[in-house]
This record gives sequence, structure tokens and C-alpha cells, in this order.
Amino acid sequence: MTDILATGTSALLAFQRAMATISNNVANANTPGYSRQQVVLAAKPGQFQGYGFVGTGVDVTTVQRMVNTMLTGQLQQSSSEMGRLTSLDGLADSLAQYFSGSSTGIAQPMSNFFDALQAVSSNPTSVAARQSLLGSAQNLATTFNSLQGQLQQVDSQVDQGVTAGVATVNQLTKQIATLNQQISSQSSSTGQPPNDLLDQRDQLVLQLSNEIGVTTTAGDNGSLSVFTTGGQALVLGNQAQQLTTVSDPYQPARHSLALTSAGGSILLPDNSISGSIGGLLQVRHTVVDPMEAQLGQAAAGLASAVNSQNKNGVDLYGNMGGDVFSTPTPAVFASSKNTGSATLTTSVGSASSLGTSNFILQYDGTNWSASDATTGAAVSLSGSGTSASPFVVNGVSVVVGGSASAGDSFLVQPSAQAAGQIAVTMTDPNRLAAASPVRIAAATANTGNASAGQLSITDSTNSNLQSPVNIQFTSATTYSINGSGSYTYTSGSPITVNGWSVAISGTPAVGDQFAVSANGANSSDNSNANLLAGLDSTNLLNGGTTSLTQAVSQITSSVGSIASQADYALNARTAIDTQLTTQASTTSGVNLDEEAANMVKYQQAYQAASQIINIANETFQTLIAAVHT
Amino acid sequence: MTDRISTATMYTQSLSSIMQGEAAVTRTQQQISSGKKWTSAADDPVGAGLAVLLDRANSQLTAFGNNASTVSNRLNLETNALSTVNTHITRIQELAIEASNDSQSATSRSAIVAELKQEYSSLVALANSSDGTGRYLFGGTTDATAPFSTTSSGVTYTGDQTQRQIEVGPNVSVGDSDSGSDVFQCIPTGNGSFAARASSANTGTAVVSSSSLDANTAYTGGTYSVTFDGAGNYQVLDASNNVVTGGTYTAGSTISFAGVNLTIGGQPAAGDSFSVKPAPSQDLFTTVQNLINTVGANPQTPAQTAAQRNGFFASIEDLQQISSHIDNVNAGVGARLNTLDETASSRSDQSTSLQNTLSNLQDVDFAQAASQLSLQSTALQAAQLSFQKVQSLSLFQLLK
Repeated sequence: MTDILATGTSALLAFQRAMATISNNVANANTPGYSRQQVVLAAKPGQFQGYGFVGTGVDVTTVQRMVNTMLTGQLQQSSSEMGRLTSLDGLADSLAQYFSGSSTGIAQPMSNFFDALQAVSSNPTSVAARQSLLGSAQNLATTFNSLQGQLQQVDSQVDQGVTAGVATVNQLTKQIATLNQQISSQSSSTGQPPNDLLDQRDQLVLQLSNEIGVTTTAGDNGSLSVFTTGGQALVLGNQAQQLTTVSDPYQPARHSLALTSAGGSILLPDNSISGSIGGLLQVRHTVVDPMEAQLGQAAAGLASAVNSQNKNGVDLYGNMGGDVFSTPTPAVFASSKNTGSATLTTSVGSASSLGTSNFILQYDGTNWSASDATTGAAVSLSGSGTSASPFVVNGVSVVVGGSASAGDSFLVQPSAQAAGQIAVTMTDPNRLAAASPVRIAAATANTGNASAGQLSITDSTNSNLQSPVNIQFTSATTYSINGSGSYTYTSGSPITVNGWSVAISGTPAVGDQFAVSANGANSSDNSNANLLAGLDSTNLLNGGTTSLTQAVSQITSSVGSIASQADYALNARTAIDTQLTTQASTTSGVNLDEEAANMVKYQQAYQAASQIINIANETFQTLIAAVHT
Repeated sequence: MTDRISTATMYTQSLSSIMQGEAAVTRTQQQISSGKKWTSAADDPVGAGLAVLLDRANSQLTAFGNNASTVSNRLNLETNALSTVNTHITRIQELAIEASNDSQSATSRSAIVAELKQEYSSLVALANSSDGTGRYLFGGTTDATAPFSTTSSGVTYTGDQTQRQIEVGPNVSVGDSDSGSDVFQCIPTGNGSFAARASSANTGTAVVSSSSLDANTAYTGGTYSVTFDGAGNYQVLDASNNVVTGGTYTAGSTISFAGVNLTIGGQPAAGDSFSVKPAPSQDLFTTVQNLINTVGANPQTPAQTAAQRNGFFASIEDLQQISSHIDNVNAGVGARLNTLDETASSRSDQSTSLQNTLSNLQDVDFAQAASQLSLQSTALQAAQLSFQKVQSLSLFQLLK
């Protein structure tokens, strides 16, 4: 009789536990990271009765957490990729919008500027055309500045994101370490798995992986060690490593990650980090830096080409032309660790030789060496760093002043800051040098059929450039200059004097003269304006292989392709992540229908067990009644 | 895939397919409303880069078009001015022929002189034509001030010889208005190859009545002089005073040497000479001024009459040269205007083709987009309906 009662009671208790577990499943059906739990029932050992073993009821062995452990690593990796790609895609996409937008991009202002130059070339003395040119130059410079500003804003967003991410990471690693401790103490004291703590920890690890990208290994007593994708430990047992940020030695506004340890801080290379922090750092290295360099190259190329062409002409006042734009200079950043007093002065030789790769100049106590700032590969260095023989790297001339100590280093950015520096310095539209400094005229008394071609300026700095020069033919094959000398005349070959050059062709008669004189004030000559207007299709950049228009096209394409690749990758990763999550949830997720069915099942079993108690009771009552009578 | 699906997954999957549907519908709707397949380089990086180049090429064509209309305006002004110049020259030629008639008296010639002076100042005014924007048409690039000014010694030119080249198409430049020097100054004289002129010291009555190139011998540009001894003989000397040929002079007969045919009439005195020079250039105003001087000479002696006749001969020859020179310049202007028309049509062809390419690159095919939109909205509705069905399926609802 007591056997039946005991069996019935064990069943009642077991089914209560089962229904409690089901209730817990239903309650946590929408809890992130919750894994479905299941009671594991086992028959109690039977009691030997001589004729055999009689069952004694049911036991709850454990409450099991349903997890597909095969997927844990994949989920962590997927979460890290999701974090990285979301950061990358978001920022790259907004930049692509900005760079290719017709009202925000550089293409339209650049085109307008050269169209305005064309208008000046057809109407060189029109103040309206000149004023409009100055306006479009202003607009072009402002657009360069605002795109650079946009890039810098993204860069500071990256930095804010990194700083905020570090705080999150530290909080998560601390929680994981605490959980590690709780899990190991609870599981060793009870011998049973603390399911909900395990769920919590898995969930925190996924969040951490989304933030920074981690791998895990299981340790003793159920604890979990967490490492960055680069292999640096973040959590070891119940110890969390403190993550911190350190300033870039060259650009203090930029921060990298480092781990604080007893022996000092260990710098984590930017490319060893994944997750959303890694994505942000990737935006900095693969979007912001190259875009700044490309944009700056176009800005510096434009400024130097337009300025030097404008200096080859004379303005409406009859003066030699000056700068239209301020000339951007390559930026120098001294390392914060420098101990010497050396300072570097940079300048750009020509637009075509200006490179885009940043480089580091380092002094070892006797010699300077250059290396690529991104790859660290050695870069060849010519010159000796004096003003007479400056170092030349990537088209940048560097002059060293002061004295450097061994180990001092400098970061040089040939073009990265140029788009922010460019500005219009010309304020008077009449200062645009549309006219050539000199003109040529054939004497009206000439009887030969020789005629002069276009004058071109070979050296605008020649002090005699605008001095009057008379070319007189002393025979059909010889000429004198200003009445002296005798030079051989070949039809069509250039005659170069005082920094200008002109080709005379045809057969001159003896005594024929050509006079070169200065173009004075208010000249409507447009030969220099024509050359200025042609600069957009001249191959100015990258060693004379790329025109400004092509450079603008490349900038648009490259920011677009970064964004579109990030977009594709994010879509693909989202699909994988969804698939993995679905797969994990087939094991761990709560299905309410299933719980309902189980609930019915256990409810019915519970009712049956209640009947056992009832029957045991009735049987006992029957027996009592029989004895009583 | 196992049969087990968690309830939360069911919801998130239904929800995410609805959200995807909504995103797709919104994207297509944006495409239709903007008319563009993409608005960011992220959607089509290569296309966006190409569009930058095409846009630039297109806007450059527009700039060339603006240049062309500026040049065209000035060239039309120039061609009008040149036609007017030639009308005046024609009138001057008529007056020259009229005045050269022996029946003219001193009085009637002075009336002609008055009209010629009028024509002269008209020509100066034409040479100082404005281009309508406050610059002078014939000043070269020194066109801020009037290029031609009248002084006691005639008309002087203060402009230059530079002719602006204006870009009106990719690698096509057209010359702007011609400089005053080219139009009014460097005009050949005589018959275009050489000019035969009487020496001002002549005392006889010899008059040149025609000068032409010999059909058989080429004139090589030498300078010669024909001198008379007064006894009926002539000699032709070259620049170094070597005798080229000589003979007996007969009034009204043709003297031929070195490709030159000269017909001289009248009676030369001893020592009278005529020079033959390769047509030197002379400015238009000097030619007209010479004519005015000739007409107003009022000869008193036979020698002076002969000098006047020689003057008429020279003026009529020179005016003919002016007329054909202005015609040539005008023909050049016409050719440039033609080039402008041709480049205008080639620009418009190029622009059309560029715009087609751009349109293929970035414009939405509305029919396709509209059908895509209806397909996507159908899919979205289906997803929403199925979500409604799925969410109503719960065993708990049946366990009442």
C-alpha cells in the first residue's frame, strides 16, 4: 500500500516539476538567449521481492538545457561579422551618398568651375564671366572642404564609437568573469548545471563578439575563457582583462585599443579586432584614409595646376598672374614620443608626382629612413633633408630643421589634408590671368609670307619675359634678335627667347620683322584662359596618367564600391546569421504548441497519478472497513 | 531542417520577410518617383563613376555651345562690318573712275573730293566698330580703346595682331574677329603681284595704262626700273642697276621683261622712270587718301596731268586689291561661321548620344519599375496575410 502511495507521490512530484519547467519555457518563450529546458525523468530502481523487481516510481534526474553546442562557435563568429559589417556598411553608405549626391559631391562644382573658365576664355574681359568664375572656384573649394569635413566627422564618429565600444566590452567581460565564477561554484556545489546562468553567459559572449569579435574555449568547472580574434585574452576564468584606448602617437585624436596588464598595456593592432569596433577601425583604414588621400590629391592637383598656369599669364591690370587657390602643403605629424627638436617642412614639387600613400620618416641616430604608414614596407628616400637637397618621398619634398634624437619619427601625409586646406585666395576677379604675357606682331611692311604661330610661355619667372624683342630676318634662312646675333631659321621650329617660345613658319623676305611685346592692361587675349580651361582634361595626376575629371570619377567609384561591397557582404552575412539562429532555435527555441501538448501530457499524467493516490486510499479504506467489521 | 521551429523564430521570420518586402517596395517607389535607378554610388559604383565622366562631357559641350554663340555673335558683326566696308569701297571705286574721266573740271572734281572725304571718315568709323559689349571689333586683343585714330599723317593702328582662338568643340577652336591690322592694313597694292608706279620726278607725259603678268614668263618678285632717255629709247634696269632689256619706245605699246607686261603711253622726258616692285602692302586709308589727293590735285601742266593720270591708275588698281582683300577676309569669316554651324550640329549629336548613354545608365524603365512595384506589393500583402494566419495558430487557443 505504501508502495503505491510512494510511487504515486513520486509521479505527482515529477509531473509538477515537469509542468513547472514547461511554465518556465512558456514564460521565457521570448527571452533573448533563453534555451528550452526539459526535465529528464528516470524510473526509480525497483525493489526486489523474491519474484522480481517491483518498480517504485519516477525520479527527476536533472533539468536539461537544450543547446546545440556545435553551433556556439559559428554563432559567435557570425555575431562578430554582423557587428563589423553593420558598422562598415552604415558609415560607408552615408559617405557614398554624400560623395555621389549631385548637390554634395565634387563632380558638379568641378565641372562648373571649368565651364566658368570656358566662359572666360570666350569673353576674357567680361567682369561678369570672371565674377562667376571666382564664385564657382569658391564653391569648388568649399565642396572640397565640406567633403573633407564629412570624412573627418566619420573619423571622429569612429573614435567615439571605439571609446563607447571599449566601455561596453569592459562591462561585458566583467559580467562574463562574474558569471564564470558563479557557474563554477554552483555546478561544483550542486553537481547540476546552472542552466539560466549558462544561457546568460552565452548571450553575453554573443554580445561581446558583436562588439569586438571573440573566440572562446571551455575551461575547468564550466568556466569559459574569451579571446579576441587576434588571440589576446579578454576573460580568463573569473578574471576580466581591462580594455583601454591609447592615442595614436602621430594623431592624438585617433585611438587604438590596448589591454591593461600587470606588465603595462599591450597594443591591439587595429586589424586584429573584429566586431563593430573592428568595423569602425576598418572604416578608418579602408574608407576615411584612402578617400582623404584621393580627394586631397585632386584638390592639391587642381590648386597647383591652376596656380601655375595662372602665373603664366597676365591679368586685366597687365600684371603677371598670381595664385587662384591657396596651395595645400603635405601634413606632418610628429610622434608624441619624439625627444629631439627636429621639425619637418614639406612642399610639393609637381601635381603629377604627388602620391597618396602616407609614410613615416624615422631617425635612427645617424640616418633617416622612410616606410609606408600602412604596410610598414620600406620606401626609397632620396636627398639628404637639407633645403638644398630635400628628402623626396612620394612627390613630397621634406626639409629637416632642428636636430632629431635617435628614435624620433614623423608621419607625413602627402595629400590627406589637402582637401581641407584648399581655399580661394584670389579676391579680385580681374586678377585672373586670361591673357598671355606677350604678343607677337608681324611688321606691316613684311613682304615674305612667313607667319607666326601661337606664343607659348616656357618660363614665366624669366625677368625679361615681357621685354620687347625684335626678330629680324637677315636672309631667308637666318635671323637676328634685337639686331644682334645670327641664328639659323628653320620654318616651323620654335624660337625661344626670354622664357617664351614661338614657331615662325613660311619663307621670310630679307628685312622682314616680327615684334614680340608685352600684353598690357585690359587685353582681351584669351590664350592663357584657353590653357586654364583645358586643365580638366589634361593628365595632371599620378605621374601624368589621370586627369582631374577622371580622378573625380575614380573617387565616386571607389567610395561607391566600398559601400556596395559592404552592403553585399552584410546582406550575405545577414542571411547566414538568420540561418544559424534558426538552426540554433530548432534545438533551443521554445515552441508554444509543443509546450501546450507537453502540458496536456503532464496534466493528464498528473491526473492519473492523483488517481493512484485515490485508489491507494480507497484500497486502504476497503481494508480498514474489512478489519473493522 | 528539423520539424521543430521555435515560436519566436516563426514570428521573427514572418516579420523579417514583411520588412524585406516593405524595403523593396519603398526602394522601387523611390526609383519611380525620382526617375533614377540609383541615387548613391553604392548602388552602382561603376555606373556612378561613368556618369561623372559623361556628365562632365555633356556640360563641357554646353560650355562650348556658349562659347560658340559668343564667337558667332562677333563674327556676324564682323561680316556685317566688312560688307559695309566693301559697299563704301565700291562707291569709292565708282568715284575714282568718274573722277579719272578727262571731261571732269576742277569744280566737279572738288565735289567728288568732298564725297570721298565723307567716305573716308565712314571707313574710319567702320574700322572702329564696337562688338556691342564695349570692346572694339577690329582691335585684336588691344580692343579696349578705338584701334584706329586719325592723325595728321593719316590713320594709325594702335591694336595688335592677335586673333583669339575660342574652343567651340572638343579640340575644335575657331578664330574670333580678325585684327584691324589684318583687315585694313596689310593689303597688297598694284595688280596683286607687282606695282608699276611713275617716279614723282617725271617731267614728261608718260602714263601707265595697264600692268599685267606675262602669260609665258613667271614674275619672280624682282625690283626693276624702266627709264627713258627722251630720245625714244628705254632701258629696264634691275635692283643692281644691270640692264635687263631695252629698246625703242613706242607710245601705247607693251614693254615686256621678267614676266612683267607694262603698257605705257604719252611722251616721256629724258630721265623719266617707272618703278616695278613686288606689290608692297599699304593700308586702306592711305589708298583712299592718295585718291583724294589725286582727285584734288588740280593739274596745271601736262606733266602734272600725267602725274594725276598715273595717280588714278594706281588708285584704281589699289582699290581693286582692297575690294578683293576685304572679300577674302569676309570669306574667311564665313568659313568660320560655317565651322560654328557644323560644330553646333556635331555638339548636339554628341550631347544626344551622351544623354542616351546616361539615361540607360541611371534612368528607370518605368514600365519595368511599375510592374516590379505591383509584384512586390503583392508579395508584401501575401507575407502580411500569411503572418495573420500563422499567428492565429496556437494550441493554447484550443485548450479552453
